Amino acid sequence: MIEVVDAGRWTTIQDRGRPGLERFGIPPGGAADWFAAAVANRIVGNQEDAALLECTAAGPTLRFDADAVVALTGANSPRAPNWQPVRTARGSSLTIGTIAPGLRTYIAVRGGINVPLVLGSRSFCQRGTFGGGFGRPLQRGDGLAIGRLGEHEPLTMPWPESHRLPARGPWEVRVIAGPQHDAFAQGALERLTATACRVAPEIDRMGLRLETPGLRLQPQEIVTVPMPAGAIQVTPSGGLIVLHVDHQSTGGYPAIATVIRADLALLAQARPGETVRFRSIDQLEAARAWRRLTGWLELDQ
Amino acid sequence: MWQITPAGDRALLVTVGRTIDPSLLGQVLALDRALADRRPSGLISTVPAYASLLCHYDPETTDAARLAASIRQLDGQTDASIPFGPVVDVPTRYDGPDMADVALKTNLTPAAVIEAHASREYLVYCVGFAPGFTYCGALPDQLVVPRLASPRLRVPAGSIGVAGRQTGIYAVESPGGWNLIGRTALRLFDAAADPPARFKPGDRLRFVPMS
Repeated sequence: MIEVVDAGRWTTIQDRGRPGLERFGIPPGGAADWFAAAVANRIVGNQEDAALLECTAAGPTLRFDADAVVALTGANSPRAPNWQPVRTARGSSLTIGTIAPGLRTYIAVRGGINVPLVLGSRSFCQRGTFGGGFGRPLQRGDGLAIGRLGEHEPLTMPWPESHRLPARGPWEVRVIAGPQHDAFAQGALERLTATACRVAPEIDRMGLRLETPGLRLQPQEIVTVPMPAGAIQVTPSGGLIVLHVDHQSTGGYPAIATVIRADLALLAQARPGETVRFRSIDQLEAARAWRRLTGWLELDQ
Repeated sequence: MWQITPAGDRALLVTVGRTIDPSLLGQVLALDRALADRRPSGLISTVPAYASLLCHYDPETTDAARLAASIRQLDGQTDASIPFGPVVDVPTRYDGPDMADVALKTNLTPAAVIEAHASREYLVYCVGFAPGFTYCGALPDQLVVPRLASPRLRVPAGSIGVAGRQTGIYAVESPGGWNLIGRTALRLFDAAADPPARFKPGDRLRFVPMS
C-alpha cells in the first residue's frame, strides 16, 4: 500500500487511456506525456499498460508500507533522482515537491497502481468524473494498492539522456495540415508556422490555449465535426486551442492543422509563457518521428 | 463526392457535406456501418458527427493513402437511409434558468416555448463534446436563439439547452454555453453501462413536458 501524505497540485492515476470510445463523447485520456510515462514503466520493469501517477506543477508526498521500486520521469522533480530506478524501503517517504522545468512528472511503481478498470482503463477522466480509482484527483489520506504488472527486471542504469525529450521550451511541434485547412484563406498555415506562438495560462489535459502575437487567422464557421487529440482549433477571436488527451470528442471551431502523436508529449510539458513554433511535415516524416521515439523505448540495457 | 483529409498522423476525416441535414447524417452512418462490416486493415475506430466521420487507424498497419482508397470505394455504394428506430420519450421539466430569457428573445410566452420545443420529434446528430452529450435537431424556426455571450462554468447533468438550430442534453456536469430551458431525470451517461451513452447518432427522441 502507498499512503498519500500530501496530494500535490493535481495528481491523477493514468495509463494508456481508453481510445475508441470517442463516439460516446469519452476522451481517449491516458498519460499526457505518453513518452515519459512509457519510460517510467520501462525503468521499473512494468507492462506497458500499468497505471502510474501523473503529477502536475507540484507533486505529492507518498509513504510506502512495503519495499518498492519507483521511477520518476518527465518534468524534473529536484528533490529526488529522476529517470532511474529508485528503491524505497518499507516505511520511507517520497516527496516530489515543486516540479520544474517541465509541467508533468510521472511516478511509476513496480507492479503498477492497482485500481479498477473503468471502460478498459485505469485513467481518471475529469469530464466524466470516473476512473483513476477515486473518480477524482488524489487527496491526502488515499491509499493506493500496488498491482502485479511487473514484467521484467527493473533497469539498473539511469535512462540515457540521449533518449529523453527536452523539458523546456521553446518547443518545435510538428503538425500535419488539416483537416479543416480549407476553412482558412490560402497561405494561412504558412503564416501560422512563421509565428512564435505563446502558451497562455489556460492549459490542462483537455487542451492548451495559445496566443498568436501579430497573427489573426479568420476561420469560416463549420458544422460540428469529430476532433482528434492534437487538433489546432482556431477560435473566432483568432486564438488557438490545441486539443490534448482529455479533449472534447467533437468541436465547432475548424482545425487548421493537427499535432502529430509523437509531439503531444512535448505539449504536455509546455508551461504558460513558453514559445511554441509549429512546423508542417508530411506523413513520412511523422512516421519517422514516431519510430524514433518507439525505437528509444526498445532500448536494450 | 466525399472529401477525405488527414487529421494528424493516425486519423482521416471523411466529410460528406457542410450542413445539418438528415440525408448527410444518413450517409455518415451508412459509411460507418459499411466500415464496421468490411473492417479495412488497420482501421481501429470511428467517430460519427453530423456530416463527417473520423477514422482512427494504426499507422504501423496501414497508411493514410491506403485507407483513403478503401473508403473511396464505398462512395455512392451505401444505403444512406437512416434506420428507423423507436422514438424515445425524454421526460422534461421546463424550468431551466434561461426559460424567461428565451421567451423574451423569441417573443413567445414560456408556455409557447414549451409547446414549440415539445411539439416535434428530433434526430440525434451527434454524441460528443463531453461524455454522453446529445446533440439533436432541428429546432423549430421560432426557437432559434444565439448561444450565451459567456458560457456557464457548470451546467448540471440532465440540463436541456437550445442554441441556433440545435437542442441538446448535457449528460454530465460540464461547462456550457447553451440556453437552458429544462432538465430531465433520464440518465444519459453511465460509465458502467454498455453502451455507456443512452443515445447514438440516428436515434429519434421527443421531449415530454412534466408538470
